[in-house]
Order: sequence, then structure tokens, then C-alpha cells
Amino acid sequence: MMADAVETLPTQQLEAFKGVKKVPLEEYFTSGHRTCQGCESALVMKLMVKAAGPRTIVLGSTGCMYVANTTYYSTSWVVPWMHTQLGSSGSAGLGTAAALKALMRKGKMKEEPINVIAFCGDGGGADMGLSAISATLTHPQYNVLILLYDNESYANTDIQASGMTPYGAHTTFSPPGKVKRIMHTRWKKNVAGMLAAGHPESKYIGTVCASYAVEMMNRVRKALTIGGPTFIHSLDPCPKGWDYDPMLSHELGELAVNCGIWPLYDVENHRLRLYGRTKALAEKRARRQPVRDFLVRQGRFAHLTADDIDYFQAKIDEMWDKWLLPGVLPIWKDLEVDNPPAS
Amino acid sequence: MGRLFAVEIVYRGIFQKNLAKNISRGIVLAAKHDGKIGISFGRYGDSPERNGIPAKSFAIIATDEETLQEGMAKYEPKETDISISVDDTLCKGVESWAWYGLQPINRLLKPGGTLIVTTMQDADTIIGMAHRKDFPYQLALLRGIPSFSGLWVYKDDHTDVRILGAIAKVLPELLSLNAVELAIKEEWHDDLKVKSARKSFERVEMRVVGPSEGNPETPYSFELPKWQEMREGVTIPGIPAGKAMTDPQTQQAGGFRPDRNPTFKKFSTRTMRPVVDFDTCVKCTLCWLQCPDSCFDVTPDALYDANMEACCGCGICEAVCPVEHCITMVNETAFADNASQWEAWRKDKTGYQTWLQDKITHLPPREHGFRIRGQYAEEIKDLVKVGVVDTGDEKISEQVVTDPHESGAG
Repeated sequence: MMADAVETLPTQQLEAFKGVKKVPLEEYFTSGHRTCQGCESALVMKLMVKAAGPRTIVLGSTGCMYVANTTYYSTSWVVPWMHTQLGSSGSAGLGTAAALKALMRKGKMKEEPINVIAFCGDGGGADMGLSAISATLTHPQYNVLILLYDNESYANTDIQASGMTPYGAHTTFSPPGKVKRIMHTRWKKNVAGMLAAGHPESKYIGTVCASYAVEMMNRVRKALTIGGPTFIHSLDPCPKGWDYDPMLSHELGELAVNCGIWPLYDVENHRLRLYGRTKALAEKRARRQPVRDFLVRQGRFAHLTADDIDYFQAKIDEMWDKWLLPGVLPIWKDLEVDNPPAS
Repeated sequence: MGRLFAVEIVYRGIFQKNLAKNISRGIVLAAKHDGKIGISFGRYGDSPERNGIPAKSFAIIATDEETLQEGMAKYEPKETDISISVDDTLCKGVESWAWYGLQPINRLLKPGGTLIVTTMQDADTIIGMAHRKDFPYQLALLRGIPSFSGLWVYKDDHTDVRILGAIAKVLPELLSLNAVELAIKEEWHDDLKVKSARKSFERVEMRVVGPSEGNPETPYSFELPKWQEMREGVTIPGIPAGKAMTDPQTQQAGGFRPDRNPTFKKFSTRTMRPVVDFDTCVKCTLCWLQCPDSCFDVTPDALYDANMEACCGCGICEAVCPVEHCITMVNETAFADNASQWEAWRKDKTGYQTWLQDKITHLPPREHGFRIRGQYAEEIKDLVKVGVVDTGDEKISEQVVTDPHESGAG
């Protein structure tokens, strides 16, 4: 080991919460933000800083969680928060972590572990900011967590399609018509899998869903404790863009996991671990729910025919039956090549 | 100079976006058939909308072009001939994210102007919610469960054309019923909608509201710093951390109440509120943990009290609560204040139970957007059956909005 090659500051040692009763009462992201009723991303913000605690700096790139939470001279943040440009959550997080390190080294600031979290939406993170996030994940000497809250569209500006919008979904960019029904034919990017495969120096990359609040918070704590650049991808049901009764936010998060659409996993020090319901599904201890149950509860899929739903199901089945690492890595096993028939 | 008419439609963001657009567009199209011209537009400051947060759209109509231009020189009308509240709970006042503080639903009404409300409540309930005005105005009630749908699937329960029919009744100088009928045929190609408009013209209930009637409270407001007063780097102070609560009965301290954004309260977003049966609560923490708005105060006895200044009525707490009937979402029209339920329960547990059961059982139903495919069609069928929407025996239904810019077109 070349210990002198990478000098990281010590991190806060955040133990996992052992059960829901151990979750602290204090809030660091509080009421009075202008999000939609039932906004799951607002919940992600709340749980993210609840897990991180008071000695935390949050950077937020443009999106709902910037515009709605800090409209004209008001805020819901208790911890320090700063806006950063749409594609720059990675650079802003890295720069802040580097600045803290420099200030502490020069004695201009008391030396103490301070969490740096940069969040971005799917537009800011998976589309525009992907290169900056990738760059950040290659800098092992800075402690920074990037959290991508993915509501599957540019929801703030009224639901334009993003690289994370699922197949067939109705968005402002893809209104179904009488002649052509499916206007969005792209499949969702596999961001956590891509980043894990491409950034072996990152010690922690994972996926979460706020419907499983304690598991989600514990992953934030793990990512902050382990040190270096880390990444968490959260799937956030969006009542506005997905078009559903806001009361169903929690249930839709669970459905996405139970239908196998949203796999829960983390890669910690190179080790892949499926967790929660996803683990049970992968080990066939539980059955995947049909994707239909997820799709028919959302207005954005109201134009899908039975064939479209079957196609959606087939793609999810592939993800679990054909992928080299089911749910994680979309490279297919080629059994013929692996096991050539005896001549 | 000719005559200028201003109509505002106050609606629930996203849930009623397509509805409000259909109404304001319909007004302008109908006015054309009476030889007037006009324009319909959404208020810039309300965009991008959020589910439930109040928003506005306007229709400005004039008898001639010069008058219209004069009317359009303003960002939004300073006074209205008609204000339309397509959801009755908006009558408690609206705090959109375009401004700060709570504004009365009838704030822009001219003397003698009309407030049209879609509701299942009686006139007294609506008047009790609306703030007092210095001069008399007219209240017009249109029977109906406020029509809620979302961005992509429109619940076509004819609320749009029923409002147009009601306008023809309350202000015939603006629109004649004949013009409304012609516009509906032209825009929607649907005789059934014409019939609905005509029925609502006949049935809209009207009465005058005097200056001594209504909610006497002064709506809350804030003074925000001017741009010259802002701090360097446009930084603002964070919210303080919050502190333990005190039990008003025993003075015992404990639990936690977060401090909250003092300049945006969000409660006017609420169309339903959770009522909590503290006697059956198992303290599982889920309502508190899963609330996106951090609205639950944790009490010294480790119960969770939904703070009604912060709750926006999403209903997630009811959805995640594992105990049957412990948390119930109740129509917001049933409440006159934002008082703490937990404090009421601590003072008088039997009295609280009576209050709770009354709130849960004596209420008109509400709806809250898309839950499952085909649901709107079923709901509309029910509305027709009980006579809230009266179209004879003919079928009306839901529609996928095929083009967001022409959601009004049939």
C-alpha cells in the first residue's frame, strides 16, 4: 500500500441506525418548502440530512430540490446549503471537499470531519452532470457523497423527458398521439451500475428507495463514513410527472422494488450486495410482482396497451434472467460461448 | 372606451391545470361569438406548478381591441368581475408560491362581482371560510365534487363547460348562453357538453354576501427584505434547529418540534387533513418518518402530532399507518382552525373522541388524482348516477391528454 499517495481527512463515524426507533428526532431539512404534495424527493432530502447529522454541507444542482426548496429569499434547510449549476454537482462537491481540506491544512479552519453532500436530479446528474460526477469519483483523496434523486424527468420545468425517463412514459416531450402511441422509446440509463463498473476507486456506490427509510439512511451513513468519493442513486416516485394521487408515493416506491424495476444494491469496497426485497427476489425467496401493478397506477402509462405492458415485462425479465449481474450489469451471459458444445 | 371584463380561475396546481386552461380558453372562445375579443393566460409566477399548491389563470375580455390592449398592459388584473374557485377549500385563502402570505379568495373581486365555487357544501359553509369584504359581492355555487386529475389523464366530468354555463347566468353581459353553446360545439364537438352547460346555467345557486358575513380574521402576511437589503452573496440565515416540546397539562418537556420556514407555511395547499386517533396509535414512527413535509411534531409522550401550519395534506401518513383508522384523511372544509389535535386530546380524551368520530363520519367525499386506470370513468358514472353531473343517460369519461398544448380540443 502506498499510504502517502492518497491523503484523506478522517470522516465522521456514523454507525447504522439499528431500527426505526433509533432514528434521531432532529430535522435538518424542515417544513415550508414548495414541493408537490407527496413529494418523495423532499423526503429523500429530509432523510439524507437526518442520516448525515448537523455537521454537513449540502450542495444542490438546479432542479426541483433547488427551485422548490429555496424560492426567493426563503429556505427549509437547517444545515448550510448552496446552489450549484445544473451539470455541476460533481465539481461543486469535489471543490467544496477540496476547499475544506485546504482550509484545515492551512489552519484557517478547525480540523474536524465535515460531511459534504452534493445532490442532483436525474437531469442534472444522469444527463448533464454525468461527466463531472465521473471525474469526482476518480479523486480518491476527497470525502464527498453525490446523491442522485431520480424522479425520471425534468419535473421542475413540467416534465420533459430525461435520459432516466422509462420506456413509453408520457412527458411533455412525448405526448402519445392517435397515429403514434409510444413517443418515448428510450430505455432508462443504468447509472449506478455504470458508475460502479467504471470507477473502481470509489469505495461505495449504491441504490436506495426512500420507501425503505432506515435502509436508505444507513446507506447514506455508510457512504459518508467510508470516505473518498461515493455515489448513491435514489428512485423517487413523482406525483406530478408520474401522475398519481400523492398519497401513493410510498406504495409506488415499494412497487418499483417488488416488480424488479428498481433493484436495491450496493457495491462496497468492490463487493456487490443486493439487499432488502431485491435480495429476496434475486434468491427467489419472493416472487417478482407483475410490472402491470406498477404501470396501471400511473397516468403517464395510461396509454399503454396490453402488448406494451408485455414488452415492458419482457425487458424487466431480461434484466433478471439474462444480465451477467442480474439487476446490475446489462451485459448478457452468452452461454453458448461460455460452454461450447462438445465436438 | 369600451368595457373590460376580467375573470380569474383559482385552482389547484397540476390537479386542475388542464381544467383551468379549458375554462379560461372557453371563456375567450365564447366571448368571440358575442362580438368581443380576449385572451387567456396562466399566471407566470405560478409556473412551474406543484401538485395542490394554488395557482391562477385569467381570461381578459373586451368589447374592442383598444380596451383589451389597455387591460393587457398589466401583469395581471387588479380587480375581477368574476373569480372562480374550482376547489371549495381554496375559499380559506390561497398561498401560492408566487407571493408570500395568505390571500383571500375574493381579494380581487369588484363591488358586485361574483365568486363562483365548485362545491358539495352549502352557501353558509363557503361564506364562513372566505374572508370578509368591505362591500357586498355575489356568491354562486355550482354543485359538484371538485374535479381533480393530473397532467396526463383528464377527468372529463364536464366541470369546464358547467363553469361556462354558470358564467352566462351570473354575468350575461360577458357571455350569453348561446355563445357558450356555440363555443363548446366548436371546441369540443360534443352535444353532451352543451347539455351540461345548459343544465348548470339553469341550476347555479346565487346569493349576495354582505360585509358582515365571512371569516373576520386578518390573513397572515410577511415583510421580506428588499433587494437593497439583501446580504452579501445573497446568503440567507438557515432555519434554527428546533427544540423539545412542552406538555401543556404536565409541563413535562420532551419530544421535538422542528423550527419551520417562517415565510411559507404551505397549509393552503391542503384539501384534506389527517386526523389522528391517539388512543390507537402504536408509536411505530412511520407517519413522522415518511412525511415529506416534516409536519409531525414529536410530543413529550412520544406521539406524533401533525402540525396544521405545515401539513399540506398529501395523505402519505394515512397510507403508511399500520393501524386501521388511526390516521384518517378528512375533507378540509370540516375544519375552522389549525389547532393542535394532540393538545385537544390531552385536555379531554372523551371529548376528542366525539370530535374525531364526527369529523370522520359526516363528510362529503373528495378525490385526489389518479389512483388506477379506469377510476375516473367509474367516478364520473357515480356522479351522473347521483345527479351531481346530469347528462341524461349518456356516457361521459376520462381522456388521455394527447397534446398538452391542445388539451381542450376533443
